[in-house]
Amino acid sequence: MGLLTILKKMKQKEREMRLLMLGLDNAGKTTILKKFNGEDVSTISPTLGFNIKTLEHRGFKLNIWDVGGQKSLRSYWRNYFESTDGLVWVVDSADRLRLDDCRRELGALLLEERLAGATLLVFANKQDLPGALSKEAIREALALDDIKSHHWCVIGCSAVTGENLLAGVDWLLDDIAARIFTAD
Amino acid sequence: IRINDFLRGESGGSTVQERLQRRNQARLEDAERRKEAKQSRSVAEERTEYFFSTFNSERASIEEVLSGCSGADRAAVTQKLEEATVKTAELQKFLNDNMFVLNQYQLKTSQAALQKLQASIAETREEALPKKKFAFRARTKAADKAPVQVTATPPPADSGSDRADGPPASEQCGFSNVNNELLTKTAEEIQNRDVLLTHLTNCKVRLFGSPSTLHLKHIDGCEILCGPVATSVFVDRCRNSVLAFPCQQLRTHNTTDTRVYLHVTSRAIIEDCSGVSFAPFSWSYSGIEEDFTVSGLDRDRNNWSQVDDFNWLAAGLPSPNWTVIPEEDRKNTWDP
Ligand SMILES: Nc1nc2c(ncn2[C@@H]2O[C@H](COP(=O)(O)OP(=O)(O)O)[C@@H](O)[C@H]2O)c(=O)[nH]1
Ligand SMILES: [Mg+2]
Repeated sequence: MGLLTILKKMKQKEREMRLLMLGLDNAGKTTILKKFNGEDVSTISPTLGFNIKTLEHRGFKLNIWDVGGQKSLRSYWRNYFESTDGLVWVVDSADRLRLDDCRRELGALLLEERLAGATLLVFANKQDLPGALSKEAIREALALDDIKSHHWCVIGCSAVTGENLLAGVDWLLDDIAARIFTAD
Repeated sequence: IRINDFLRGESGGSTVQERLQRRNQARLEDAERRKEAKQSRSVAEERTEYFFSTFNSERASIEEVLSGCSGADRAAVTQKLEEATVKTAELQKFLNDNMFVLNQYQLKTSQAALQKLQASIAETREEALPKKKFAFRARTKAADKAPVQVTATPPPADSGSDRADGPPASEQCGFSNVNNELLTKTAEEIQNRDVLLTHLTNCKVRLFGSPSTLHLKHIDGCEILCGPVATSVFVDRCRNSVLAFPCQQLRTHNTTDTRVYLHVTSRAIIEDCSGVSFAPFSWSYSGIEEDFTVSGLDRDRNNWSQVDDFNWLAAGLPSPNWTVIPEEDRKNTWDP
């Protein structure tokens, strides 16, 4: 396939990407989504079910699915796996008491066949809190270095101040775009 | 022949006149495009410029208010400090709302400037109003002794999963493993911080001030009152207790027989709970107005009675796991 064909293909279909945002409840998923979209984050309620947002960024059309993280909802996560290009795993970096739970859920997720091709971005969120663990500590606590099955990257951010949200999403898009390119 | 070719054009048929006209047209369009690009660039630049001029002048005016504190009398200092606190909270909101016109570096430096302001407010308060702080300190000191006593008690059953915590002591703000104590924290200690209370039994806890977030875990027979929490309160494994706080969200898990006096600006949820009941927040203390401002919570919006039960998604039927506390049973006066 020639370069032009690939570019043209990128334009039409692959310029649309499907991102799935998961993590324990209270991690800040909905806040990240709304902040990224420039919406008011002070009125966000705990997510019952899911939110979908379609936004344009750097010429890409992003369909972002934000799915509730409550225990009773986690078994529904798999309903959203199909054709996921990027997985955004959001962590409350100040919630030390649930890090084990967080590592287990992420580990189980990465075994899912339908997520096999997806790029993983870990957002170590709530870095504005004085008690937040650094992104290095999160990397260790979640044993990210053991992940060989997916491209991954961990980025410290704050959904409240907006710090590093763009940097994270940009990395994710670059990785996915590069993958689509080389696949043909 | 060549000249002829040139005059006739490669496409054949078009005259020099036409070609020149086309080129001119293209040039004009190009100039228009460049102008538009420049305009949109300058709109972005203008927004950034507007942000910084507003941000910097606001910052200067807060610094001026603070510098006016030295030598002023107590009442004046109190009033000035409140003004500075309110303005700083507004400035934080202004920054949050404008983050999209800033690059990462600009965002970082602005955030650092705000933190500096908050630090100098705390410093000024400490210098100018030492007495008030002293009074609070004395109470806190007494409470701080509590954990020492308790080190002898056996570790809680599931400490295995809690062990990974190992937070650097200086960053951890809160109380753990205490029985039968009155525990307090002052605004200076908890402002904008993440506060954690774990393994408390039969304690009375008073948190004066506005933390960023509050976590409660393994709470039994306690009465916990807290000032306005800027983001969420997360409650897990709490029983036979009374809680009161304003917050943006409340998430309650594995909790039984607990009363919550709540001001919540978005929503409260329960999951795996039973016997939880709710009433409007009714605690008050001197300085709570200022703390509400710091938290950014809307005082006029309280959804305390709209509780979502994640284990009870049957439409139309009320959840059996929570109730509203009847008015005649609500607590209106609180011990200090
Ligand atoms: N301090 C702080 N609080 C945050 C941050 N991101 C989210 N929150 C708060 O955390 C709570 C849960 O956020 P939400 O987006 O509803 O979490 P979700 O369950 O993952 O969708 C809310 O009260 C947010 O305001 C952050 O970066 N810093
Ligand atoms: Mg959510």
